[in-house]
Amino acid sequence: MNADYKVDLLVLGMGAAAELAAIYAHDADPDLNILIATKALKGKGGCSRMVQGGFNVVLDPGDSHEKHLMDTLKGGQYINDQDLALQLVVEATPTVKELETICGCFFDRRPDGRIHQKPFAGQCFDRTVHKGDLTGIEIISRTTEQIFKRRIPVLEETRAVELLLDKEGTTVTGALLYNMRTGTFVTVEAAATLVATGGGPTQYRFHAPGPEKSADGIAMLYRAGAVMRDMEMIQFHPTGLIIPGSVVAGALLEEGLRGAGAHLYNGEGERYMLRYAPDVAERATRDVVSRSSYLEMMAGRGCPEGGVRIDAAHMGAEFVLKNFPGMAERCAQFKYDLARGMVPVSPSAHFFMGGAAIDVNCRASLDKLFVAGEDAGGVHGANRLGGNGIGESCVYGRLAGKSVAAYLAKPENRRIKDTAPNMVEDVIARLNEPFTRKGGTSPFINRRDIQETNWVKVGVVRKQESLEEAVNDFVSLRGEVERASVEGKRPYNMMFNTHLDTLNMIDVSIMASVSALQRQETRGAHTREDFPNQRDDYGLFNTFMRRGDDGMPVLEKKDVVFKHKSLEACQKHKK
Amino acid sequence: MESQSTRTVRIFRYDPEKGGEGAFQTYKLDIPDPNTTTILDVLLRIQKEQDSTLAFRFACRVNMCGSCGMVINGREGLACKTNVCDLPAGQDITLRPLNHFPVVKDLVVDMGPFFAKYEDALPFFEPLEKRTEPYIIKPDDPNRVDIGMATDCIACGCCVSSCTMVDNHDSYCGPAALNRAFTLLADTRDALFEARLTRALDSCYNCRTEFNCTEVCPKSISGTRAIKYIQRLALKNLKSVRPLPPHPAETAAAHAPEKAAAAPETPPPAHPCACGGVDASRRSFLKSATGIVGAGVVISLGAVLGTAAVGPTLNDLPSQWVDAGKDKDFPVGKIVSVTLRYSRTQAFHKENKQFPVLVRRDSEKDFICFSSICTHLGCAVTWDELSNRFRCACHGGAFDRDGKVIAGPPPSPLPRLPWKLENGILKVEVV
Repeated sequence: MNADYKVDLLVLGMGAAAELAAIYAHDADPDLNILIATKALKGKGGCSRMVQGGFNVVLDPGDSHEKHLMDTLKGGQYINDQDLALQLVVEATPTVKELETICGCFFDRRPDGRIHQKPFAGQCFDRTVHKGDLTGIEIISRTTEQIFKRRIPVLEETRAVELLLDKEGTTVTGALLYNMRTGTFVTVEAAATLVATGGGPTQYRFHAPGPEKSADGIAMLYRAGAVMRDMEMIQFHPTGLIIPGSVVAGALLEEGLRGAGAHLYNGEGERYMLRYAPDVAERATRDVVSRSSYLEMMAGRGCPEGGVRIDAAHMGAEFVLKNFPGMAERCAQFKYDLARGMVPVSPSAHFFMGGAAIDVNCRASLDKLFVAGEDAGGVHGANRLGGNGIGESCVYGRLAGKSVAAYLAKPENRRIKDTAPNMVEDVIARLNEPFTRKGGTSPFINRRDIQETNWVKVGVVRKQESLEEAVNDFVSLRGEVERASVEGKRPYNMMFNTHLDTLNMIDVSIMASVSALQRQETRGAHTREDFPNQRDDYGLFNTFMRRGDDGMPVLEKKDVVFKHKSLEACQKHKK
Repeated sequence: MESQSTRTVRIFRYDPEKGGEGAFQTYKLDIPDPNTTTILDVLLRIQKEQDSTLAFRFACRVNMCGSCGMVINGREGLACKTNVCDLPAGQDITLRPLNHFPVVKDLVVDMGPFFAKYEDALPFFEPLEKRTEPYIIKPDDPNRVDIGMATDCIACGCCVSSCTMVDNHDSYCGPAALNRAFTLLADTRDALFEARLTRALDSCYNCRTEFNCTEVCPKSISGTRAIKYIQRLALKNLKSVRPLPPHPAETAAAHAPEKAAAAPETPPPAHPCACGGVDASRRSFLKSATGIVGAGVVISLGAVLGTAAVGPTLNDLPSQWVDAGKDKDFPVGKIVSVTLRYSRTQAFHKENKQFPVLVRRDSEKDFICFSSICTHLGCAVTWDELSNRFRCACHGGAFDRDGKVIAGPPPSPLPRLPWKLENGILKVEVV
């Protein structure tokens, strides 16, 4: 194939995982020919930039990796990949230090000049490193500058649309990209490909990540035949802002508010978390709080705006304004007063715990394929702790960079394999169809239909019939998506871009709903109305899947391996 | 049906396939609750309900990524951060792309020139020492208090769009870049104090203290304050302001992504703006040189500044024929240097270009027009009659009469430009 670019390492995405991988791979071998492709402008896409609260890391002598690991496993309701979780907590410490010493981040300080750590939900120690309440801007701005400094080339507004495979279908040979500005396809062949586009479950009506995300990496990995895991585990963040009719709806008020002591009230003025989680109340993990809020809303005890209310004002206006200026400003834009009043919030789709199955070196199940960040699964089990998300992206991005460099150091790995004949031509022909098809469905409508179906049938609380209906709905919606028509010309065609989004959103929707049917219990982010209890005598498994010939997932359940910590130890741990 | 809440929205439209100046298109939209409707909501609704071909850019929608900067009723702002209620009730809502950037389509601009200027200020941390533990710095450390929230810049480009000077001075790197320079100059952990101060100070002279950048910044950062800070710092550190070599990151092969399938020997770029790959290194060299060495060098090099970086999307811009001079100005057998002056317009973006060329006339009808931009780092080459060669003063590069490299570091021959003789006027084709 006559590829437009042939490189040693192709990095898809430009969030923290992608940037740190590029930086560390470059530093390990400055001669590596690295190419980054991002859907957005340089450093402006991805969820890392949107991180508010901060980064969980063990720095204080009173804390330990043991405690952080136990919090992570407890928060994940025991079904984490323990190797990955252990590596997360151990490597978080040098990673956060290097963000300061190598990339130039500067996190908030304690009065004694050491890095300040604030309380977050579900943790037995205050270990969340932060920069005010908008930590992601500091991390991504600094790492993006380091990409500039290393002069690593970036293709902007050029999104990956499909991974390329060799003719056996077992090796990733690069990716097909789409340049949104010119409306043309770009082929890249690479000796190693890192998928780090980030997830972002925007296939729901209310979602926290920016609407430009569409789980591209997860969907591409699935279509390429990579083994995926835990796809039913989609986290809802309990405090998404309610703003009727606005695209900002679902944007978050950060977890630190609950960590600092904010209360949640239902429409009847009851602090309902005291009923659901008497010990920790609002400082329960996100799965528990979201589920409780949703049950209150369903029981007719919501507030008039449709959700519940968060009260930070009782901590004092001065405290709120000093510690959460970004959140206060975000509320004030929509005439809510976080410092002096209550603000209506609702659970908002936030994070994929699932993703590609990887080993500790970020290798996925296909050859020459590496995955890091939200596109990978297993680190967080059934529920992610606040502050472990940017942690995963940075820790695994850094490790992926080192791991890819070690892989490419071997001459036999440095070779690019041939892409299957006609693969590129076939994909381009298929993707181009909406431009010539008349009278097809609208990508904007398809997007809305996917979001509504997910919200109602695969949402915070699920049940057998709805999930079965959802699978059928999605299969038929996939037909609609594939019959879409796009108006207008090719350059910067946002309707076509939305069409590409829906192709990915429909795949992750099918994966999540099929996987959700496999778990007949409530665990972490997966709540079943028909199986309301967590069943540790049944549910200690992970659902792995790969794409079958008909496009539907082929499933395999595997028992959790309690390699480092026993089930009893996890159950006993008090956060 | 127009209800009381119906608003008129005028949106700038530009079709890159048609080119030209673009025009405003008017839409009517019912906005029942201006308090909770952002300008981004307005655009998304028009796109969904009325015109799916409308193009704009956004990503995070919560004032964290800086993708949706535009000019909203005459003032720069983020579409996601501006609510309809922030605009006067009786007024039309008028949306147009940021100033000073080439327009890609409708409200979408090419931010390439922004990042090029941003990179001029060496906007990256360079550790003073290799260490594993973070520094102990108290929150009330005076430098940290000075830096404050200024590191929260999201590079949205609003400040650059609002600045009246940035477009007139190609070498002026603008408020966002100088703000980043300031935060690094105040950062005691950083190693590039002298280089940064020298670089940044040169740019600060272009600021006319109009406070436009400060007024429009969606993150409430003051570019003006940063610029004044740098100038005060320079007064205290006069010895630090001195000639410096470019940072290694800049002279290192500025590897633009290498096209793999391209022919083994790509012809040298025929047009001045096709030289994107080496921009940074050339610019940085000029920066170090112009700021310091003195007026003579500034004059001899100044011409090159006219070809400042433009984004990759500009490679497809239509070329134009520019007058180089009268037939009789070019004696047969001689090589003459001329500076082409012309403006380039694309939608809202207008640039005044100065482009030096060398014209060799071999006979009545035979001309050769060379770009006088050295293919090494972009300095201006001159014709040296005595040694019968084109010479580059910067690094000793030399080219023969045909523009072929005969000495020094230039990697490729001098590019040749198309020419024609029309009614006694020599015209050269440029972009």
